[in-house]
Amino acid sequence: MNWTCEQIEARLSEYLEGALAPADQQAFAAHVQQCPQCAPLVSTVQGLVSGLHGLPPLAEPPRLVYAILDKTLGPRQTARGWRAALAFLRGFATMRFAYGALSVTATVIVLLTASGFNWKHPRAADLHPVNLYRAANRQGHLIYARGAKFVSDLRVVYEIQSRLSQDSGIRTAPESTPPPPAPEKQPGMTNAPRQNGPRQQNRANGIRPELSVLASDLAVLCNRRLP
Amino acid sequence: MEQDAQLVQQCLQGNGSAWEELVHRHTRRVYNICYRFTGNGTEAEDLAQEVFLRVYRTLGSYRSAHGGFATWMTSVTRNLLIDHYRRTKRDRVTDSLEDAITVVESKESSARRPDEQALLSELGRQVQAALKKLSPELREAVILRDLQQLEYAEIQQVLQVPEGTVKSRINRGRIEMARILQQMGVRPS
Repeated sequence: MNWTCEQIEARLSEYLEGALAPADQQAFAAHVQQCPQCAPLVSTVQGLVSGLHGLPPLAEPPRLVYAILDKTLGPRQTARGWRAALAFLRGFATMRFAYGALSVTATVIVLLTASGFNWKHPRAADLHPVNLYRAANRQGHLIYARGAKFVSDLRVVYEIQSRLSQDSGIRTAPESTPPPPAPEKQPGMTNAPRQNGPRQQNRANGIRPELSVLASDLAVLCNRRLP
Repeated sequence: MEQDAQLVQQCLQGNGSAWEELVHRHTRRVYNICYRFTGNGTEAEDLAQEVFLRVYRTLGSYRSAHGGFATWMTSVTRNLLIDHYRRTKRDRVTDSLEDAITVVESKESSARRPDEQALLSELGRQVQAALKKLSPELREAVILRDLQQLEYAEIQQVLQVPEGTVKSRINRGRIEMARILQQMGVRPS
């Protein structure tokens, strides 16, 4: 049986939901395969239905539930007298409030200490904003000066260390590395200008212990041959 | 469903927390139906409040033997939405006077609150624009079947029409919506 486009439209949802009889399902599919009008319609509706099923529900505004409850149950009764005070105090007996209070206290202590507040001999005048500002300003400058001095000290230490490591590096230079070729000496000419005098001095220092070892060995050898 | 029926019984006995529980359980569904039908967050909020107010007042008329509480609530929502649609019909601009869909869509999106815009995905916006173009009968059928994913029997109960009419409306609604999306240049995949 050949289906018309009207029939296809009328039974499209049944086809998509698999509610057609097997023969009808086949006839439907055969028509859609050859019909240039029905094929895009079927695929679009199919995509639409799956898209609609996949749409997540929208979250309601949080105030909506409370608005509904207020409208139906009426506005919530507010406590009065000592009950109100108790309810107010109950709000403080929460971990959240305790954490908040603790962090605020710690911040105040840190700030006061940083501003130079004297905890051993506290005075009310020290809490005056002008005094606090002055103390904080003084502390700030003091910290800056200390920091600058520390950086300067570090620089000196670094320079000393680098000098020392430079010296020790030259003294322990491996023998395998060939020395740079000496410039050929010409009669009547002096050596090249001494650009690195201390290095030569250091090399001489290095030779001195080797010479002393050689001298002691020589004395031993001489003693052996003497008899 | 049984839990809903128990909560209703407790509500009828004057238990306020049972009503709170019912409100918490059904607010999202009712809000979604209202939002999808009206396409406006503020209207949807007002309508959802009206729905719950009406349900609260007529809770005694609910009979669990006639169906689930959710279905009953959906039919209350649907009746209110239709009333609202008829009430505001004069205020709305007719479809023939509307500009091109793209212009309308851009107006809608700019008129929406930022939180609404964040909630709606691109597909959600397109679906909303297409839903608005449908007649109320087809729109409610598509919302209940494809967005709320109710069974045909439940939709029949909500709409109070024969099953054949329900199926026909859903089918026509889908096809019309697909054509609107095609006109908008959207190709759902």
